[in-house]
Amino acid sequence: MTSVIQTRGLAKRYRRVTALSDCAITVPEGRISALIGPNGAGKTTLLRLLAGLARPTAGNMTVLGGTPRQDPAFLAEIGYLAQEIPLYRRLTAEDHIGIGAHLNRRWDGASARDRLRALNIPLDRAVGKLSGGQRAQVALALTLAKEPRLLLLDEPVAALDPLARRNFLAILATAVADSGLTVVLSSHLVADLERVADHLILLASSRVQLCGDIDALLAEHHVLVGPRKATTAIEKTRTIVQAVRTARQTTVLVRGNAAVLDPDWESADIGLEEMVLGYMGQDAAPGLARLTTVGDDQ
Amino acid sequence: MTWLTWRQHRAQFCTGAALLAALAVLLLITGLQVASQWHSALVACTATHSCSNQGGLFLGNRAVGFLVIMTLGAPALAGLFWGAPLVAADLETGATPFAWTQSVTRTRWLAVKTGWMLLAAAVWGGVISALVTWWSGPNNALYRDAFNPGRFDIMNITPVAYALFAMALGIAAGALLRRTLPAMAVTLVGFIAVRAVIALWLRPHYMSAVTVFYNLVHGYTPPGSYWQLAQGVLGPDGHPVPQPDGPAAFGVPLGYLPASCAPLNGGATHITPSCAQALTHFRGFTTYQPAGRYWAFQGIEVGIFIALAAILLTVAAAVLLRRDA
Repeated sequence: MTSVIQTRGLAKRYRRVTALSDCAITVPEGRISALIGPNGAGKTTLLRLLAGLARPTAGNMTVLGGTPRQDPAFLAEIGYLAQEIPLYRRLTAEDHIGIGAHLNRRWDGASARDRLRALNIPLDRAVGKLSGGQRAQVALALTLAKEPRLLLLDEPVAALDPLARRNFLAILATAVADSGLTVVLSSHLVADLERVADHLILLASSRVQLCGDIDALLAEHHVLVGPRKATTAIEKTRTIVQAVRTARQTTVLVRGNAAVLDPDWESADIGLEEMVLGYMGQDAAPGLARLTTVGDDQ
Repeated sequence: MTWLTWRQHRAQFCTGAALLAALAVLLLITGLQVASQWHSALVACTATHSCSNQGGLFLGNRAVGFLVIMTLGAPALAGLFWGAPLVAADLETGATPFAWTQSVTRTRWLAVKTGWMLLAAAVWGGVISALVTWWSGPNNALYRDAFNPGRFDIMNITPVAYALFAMALGIAAGALLRRTLPAMAVTLVGFIAVRAVIALWLRPHYMSAVTVFYNLVHGYTPPGSYWQLAQGVLGPDGHPVPQPDGPAAFGVPLGYLPASCAPLNGGATHITPSCAQALTHFRGFTTYQPAGRYWAFQGIEVGIFIALAAILLTVAAAVLLRRDA
């Protein structure tokens, strides 16, 4: 299967802040990839780099067979929706559909109108006067009307109510099934994406922590629960992502499928949310393979 | 892109067109009155052979005359209300990622928007200038001041260049500051500063000025609508005599002259031989740009402002196309 996105050593620094460093990801065609990470992890930066809206400080990337660039042929294949819902406040949805028709060779205005009518969103009202959720739906309909091959969505469901979220994700899943569209959508909430995504990019502290097929990733992560004791034996064969110690027991999130021989440890499968939270750390100050100690030590 | 530009800015274009139409109606009506007033004054003075002395004549109406002078500021409006918000408003509301992820490159987005706005600015400056130039025809003939600062700047081709410059300044300020109101403020201040510096310090030196020395009793006035830069009197020692702030004869303070010249200050027209003798030691001088250089100066002024506009647009393009969205 060909990959739609491939990056190597991708980095983006703003004057003093490193937004993204050493980012290597691969997203195969036809997948819905969940880009997950805490606020400020670099999700928006990564999406903007992929869309060609920002230039990397270092590294290289291949998106749809080329480098993101200012070129009508490349731009036509990309659908990008920024978190801020970029629209002309004073213009109506109908105006935007008209703009899209003039600025794109491939444009399905009729489907955008149908989608918005089905949601009872007025086409003739200035989008600045619509509610946040309605505005998001307008922007989404416009992005889909472009019929892109790669859809980059930055927190698209944040402004939607739970029902609209479910509808939106269903639309997305249908579009992918119908047209072989590839989607990368970001969120800091795992639950939003768990239902539709089959691929995961986990960012924390401006680095990629995990990237790959969700099922494969889940298969190689386990939780080990055992007595309060040293984890050195486990570390020999597996990577410890996170260890939580209470007065009585130790819970360890490990990566790697080597068998655990010590009968004190009980191995269990893990869900997406648990795995993600393990990497992010529950205190929103994430880092790779960190040890967390709860309760008095020794 | 043209469609987007029109859809986004049609309200501004319509406002501009309405203002131009209102100005046109006002200046056409009052301009015809001025022309007929001038025509009858010429007929009257020809009959009495007094056409060389029409200093007391006033053409037109003070309010409209004031409005015509106020068109000095009209080019700045193009920069303030069309130029400054052109990219700043989109950047401010975050609408640019929408435009920049359609199948149109950023370069084309900027080129088309800027192109139409420059055209609009040129039309704005040009139409106002054409109306003002036509309206001022009789006044130019009467006062011969078309070359003077303040008149030079509102007629013929300079207003077009000023409007293009103001537009470019507004666009560049908007691109750099990314916010509409600060960009408008910078445009206003920048426009006034650049215009003032060039008009006051640079324009007098586009070509080296002509200085004519003359006999005070005979006097000298350069022909046509010349631009006077300096005028004064040189004393017997060749140094300028201070400008008179008290009684004077032919621009020379009476303190420098014999008592026989005193009646001249009172309005006497007869010059006594001793006074005439004393006056021969003084020379008047006028430093000026001759009327024949008017179009050369218009051309140089236009060239300078178009060059400045080009530099500003290059800066705006570099900032918008190189920087991240």
